[in-house]
Amino acid sequence: MNGAGHGERPDGRIDAALASLPRELPPARDLWPDIESRLEPRRRRGAWAWQAAAAIALVAVSSLVTASLVRRADAPVARTSTQASQAAVMPTTFGPSYSLNAEYDMARRQLATDLEQRLAGMPPSARQKLEANLAEMHRAAAEINVALARQPGHPLLEELLLNTYQDELGVLASVNQLTGTAPAATARQENVKL
Amino acid sequence: MTLFAAAALLAASPAVRAGTPINERAAADPAGSVEVSNVAGTVRVIGWDRNEVEVTGELGVGAEKLEFAVADKVTRIKVILPRKTSNVEDTDLVVRVPAASRLSVNTVSADIEVQGLLGAQRLQSVSAEISTAAAGEDVECKSVSGDVTVNGSFKKGLLTITTVSGDATALRVAGEVNANTVSGDITLGLGETNRSRVRSTSGDLTMAALLAADGKLDAESISGDVRLELVGAVDAEFDLSSFNGEIRNCFGPKAVSTSEYAPGKELRFREGQGSAHVRIKTLNGDISVCRK
Repeated sequence: MNGAGHGERPDGRIDAALASLPRELPPARDLWPDIESRLEPRRRRGAWAWQAAAAIALVAVSSLVTASLVRRADAPVARTSTQASQAAVMPTTFGPSYSLNAEYDMARRQLATDLEQRLAGMPPSARQKLEANLAEMHRAAAEINVALARQPGHPLLEELLLNTYQDELGVLASVNQLTGTAPAATARQENVKL
Repeated sequence: MTLFAAAALLAASPAVRAGTPINERAAADPAGSVEVSNVAGTVRVIGWDRNEVEVTGELGVGAEKLEFAVADKVTRIKVILPRKTSNVEDTDLVVRVPAASRLSVNTVSADIEVQGLLGAQRLQSVSAEISTAAAGEDVECKSVSGDVTVNGSFKKGLLTITTVSGDATALRVAGEVNANTVSGDITLGLGETNRSRVRSTSGDLTMAALLAADGKLDAESISGDVRLELVGAVDAEFDLSSFNGEIRNCFGPKAVSTSEYAPGKELRFREGQGSAHVRIKTLNGDISVCRK
């Protein structure tokens, strides 16, 4: 502003100085080796699957930890942790940013609790298959959540995840209904030759 | 003393002994309801042309009794076990009912077989095999680990099959079909289908279908493969997508990636006027659609 008259450019020397600056300024030394050492290795085909598997394992372990915390808070505690009880405590995340609503979660927990009480009355082989299948559904939900974490808002993933949770609810309800209406001797299966 | 102790034990034992034959019969409404309940063994239901319900068979060792009661057009047949059992054997029931009866069967592990019935059916078991025929009325089959088999005659009706690990097979059925499983495989032979919804978590879905005009077929699997063969003239819009699986078809169009940077393929195309709708989604399973 010094010495500038009304309507003149503030200082022509700044423009001249800008124009005189070189367009490129090479670094004093080769920086690339330092940069390269900090980059992640290039993903190989199939690494996606390994990472998904690792994430699934992490979710499974965290579910077991959560289940144990819940068990310690309750008294008396169940002797064994079944997939039904894990269903009750496994968080129903929906991608990286959301969870299913409280009403759904409440219904799910109630069904899982009811089922827990009926599992003892089921034929052992059917009980094992049911627990394995509930675990399969949890793995599926975990796998989709891992994929959603990478692709938030992916419509196919969201649809499949929502349907998986709905299907799990359907299985819990169906098995509750089946074991609830099954002949009364289900509670005495240990003595029934099946 | 030993003889006295043995006699006392016999007197205290349950009244029913090995192989008690069953032979019960009562008049029944020709379109009434029949409810059957058994734990282990078999339940075989046969539709006949008499207005009577007949139960024959053999009560298993240790079973207390067979309850057989008729009231208000409902016939109830139930195997009663004592509160404290010791090694209860199978009970095998053969139940003949009026062919137009509505049937409800509940078992734990007793296999269920139904034939010649024209009325609605609701067949449920925890671990048993279920086998029936569909004749145009609603049929619902539910099992945790048992397989389900339904044979139809292409008469339109509502068929619902739910299993957890059992396989489900429904052939020559038509109308509306809903089939759900977690790990079982589903095999469907669908006549003219207005609406079908088939879902699995890890089981494979194999379907041959004749789509009705405006028909809708919706199939979804997380990691099972889905294979659909369409019968007759194909007039449908197709919406196929898979996150990690392959999409194959014999109609010509190729699947495209949904993103340059992420997995996912989709294929949308039309055959004919596109009046019916086929929608198939998987996470990891492969999709195959072709004309039979």
